[in-house]
Amino acid sequence: MNYALDVQHIQKSYGQKQAVKDVSFRIQEGEIFGLMGMNGAGKTTILRMLATLLRPDAGDALVSGNSIVKNPEKVRTCISYLPDEAGAYKTMTGRNYLKFIAGLYFKEDREQKECTALGEEICGLGDALNQKISTYSRGMTRKLVLARTVMTKPKLAILDEPTSGLDVLNSLDIRKTIRNCAETYGTAFLLSSHHMQEVSATAHRGAIMKDGEFLAEGTPQELLQKYQAATLEEAFEKAVRNA
Amino acid sequence: MMHLLKKELSELLNKQMLLGLLVSFILILMLGFVMTSTVSGTLENSGEVHIIDLDQTDFTGQIAEKLSEQGYTVKKISDSQPYEMILSQQNWNDAAVLPEGMTDLLWNQHQSCEIDSITALKTTSAMSIAFSENSSADYVKSAVNSLLSEAYLQGDLAFLEHAVSTTPYTVANGKSVQANSAALVGSLAMFDQLMPLVLFLLIVLTSQTIITAVAAEKTDKTLETLLSSPVPRSVIIGAKMLAALITALIYAVVYGAGFLVSMLANVDNTAENVDIAEAFTNLINTQDAIRTLGLQISPLGWIGVILQLLLTICISLTASMILGGLVEDAKGSQTASIPILVATMFPYILSMVSDIRSMGAVKYILYLIPFTHTFTATGCLRFHDTGLFLGGLIYQAVFLAGIAFAALKLYQSDILFTHRFAAKRTGK
Repeated sequence: MNYALDVQHIQKSYGQKQAVKDVSFRIQEGEIFGLMGMNGAGKTTILRMLATLLRPDAGDALVSGNSIVKNPEKVRTCISYLPDEAGAYKTMTGRNYLKFIAGLYFKEDREQKECTALGEEICGLGDALNQKISTYSRGMTRKLVLARTVMTKPKLAILDEPTSGLDVLNSLDIRKTIRNCAETYGTAFLLSSHHMQEVSATAHRGAIMKDGEFLAEGTPQELLQKYQAATLEEAFEKAVRNA
Repeated sequence: MMHLLKKELSELLNKQMLLGLLVSFILILMLGFVMTSTVSGTLENSGEVHIIDLDQTDFTGQIAEKLSEQGYTVKKISDSQPYEMILSQQNWNDAAVLPEGMTDLLWNQHQSCEIDSITALKTTSAMSIAFSENSSADYVKSAVNSLLSEAYLQGDLAFLEHAVSTTPYTVANGKSVQANSAALVGSLAMFDQLMPLVLFLLIVLTSQTIITAVAAEKTDKTLETLLSSPVPRSVIIGAKMLAALITALIYAVVYGAGFLVSMLANVDNTAENVDIAEAFTNLINTQDAIRTLGLQISPLGWIGVILQLLLTICISLTASMILGGLVEDAKGSQTASIPILVATMFPYILSMVSDIRSMGAVKYILYLIPFTHTFTATGCLRFHDTGLFLGGLIYQAVFLAGIAFAALKLYQSDILFTHRFAAKRTGK
């Protein structure tokens, strides 16, 4: 089995507080994995460790076989990270922003152009790409930054709250994009959310987190069965309250 | 690198920046006119009068008594050694020389008399000169006029008005030359006053720019995007600093041009109509005196000064990268720039009002601040303190290497994202 991500007993503390406690999980190529949890559960800390922004206190994770501890530079060539409420450079046009990001990942002019063209197609912003990003709505900005995350065709895309603050239609567009990219390019997705609906509608598998630990892990169906719940929200409530 | 540099420059060099630059240029022109006019004002009285009495008569004794009555502390010697030796031995900044035969000229021959007014040039800080100089010759003139007025109350008033005139002498680097120290300082100030002011503005401006830019990248989470990309962290930091340096140099050229134009136009302070060509002529006339005193800076010295300027700006930019990285959001960037502002303002103001090199133990504390050496650089070179200049240059280079290493370590570490969490938050 080819794993895009193999997390092995990863831990992280901030001072005396242990934010992530011995977490392990795996994601296959083309699989979408959702981390569900309340604010402060440790979701963002896990994502930041996998994005090589934070160094784990213990444990390791392999991204396409590359260790985030021993070889973070190599990991950065395989991943793409979209932080929570990430913005873009407001003085740039949407098109120039996509070109700029393509330039960070590819040296060849041809590769950069192909990457930018893919980003333009994925975001679906059309002529608005010629406008400055400062004129964009929140939904347009989110589509743009999601496009720049997936246009490089990373082995692993790490998305922190990808639809946070968006209206229903924009959220649906984002979810469709994520699923299409997973199917078309085989990109594995690790996304965090405190919206159960988002995870059940998008992810193949997921995990419920509380206080830095996994309470349960599985497909949405497996989680519903485990907690005898009708919806994922109900399963989440039971998992968190009984923990 | 070029890819990131283009992005950083497009962020920094925008329409607002160019508009701000234009406004700054106009303001600097105005400020330069005001500053130069102020600098050329009358020297202040500090209450001490130094007299070299080569006549040694009852009348020259009365001059000293008159000044004492007026509240001045009079220090008088009768020594015919070269002026530079007397000022050095007595540790005086100036003196008035009462020539032999002065009393005979004034009282018996009823002729006007010329006295030498000597000034020791120790710094090219115009404000320092203005605050510290005792214009002894002026006080002596005043005392002589007063004494003669009392004696010749019914006499030739026109004669009394011109009873004494002065010939200015300036002493520096163990040499003396017949020249007005204020005129020399005015000439040297074109560079020595301009450079610290431009440097001060540059440091404050560029540090604020960098801190705000990094803080904005943190707030917008674009920094996380950059740092998780395949580009090495050193390249990301380097591109940001290089872009800020290019911006700083653009500011330096505009600011420098603004001050230079305004100062050149004010070299001749008595001129009603500004004539830059005439100002240049006056400037050239003082060059012989500057050369005689050894106050000129060699081309190699100027290269050293420029190198020190670049090092200073690089230190400021690197420190700003560190402070910007530790700021939580754009709001905190104002506060974060305070350490750089204070570290710059302190030596800058002191160099304007005093000669840092002649301070006591305090100067060693000031020398720990890397920016101090840049503000004393031209003074060191003009007054042949090459050791201090080179020491400062080496210290700045070592300081820059250390702070650059610290910046790189910071941007490779967790601290960039965790320092605020450690105090308040427990993870998300």
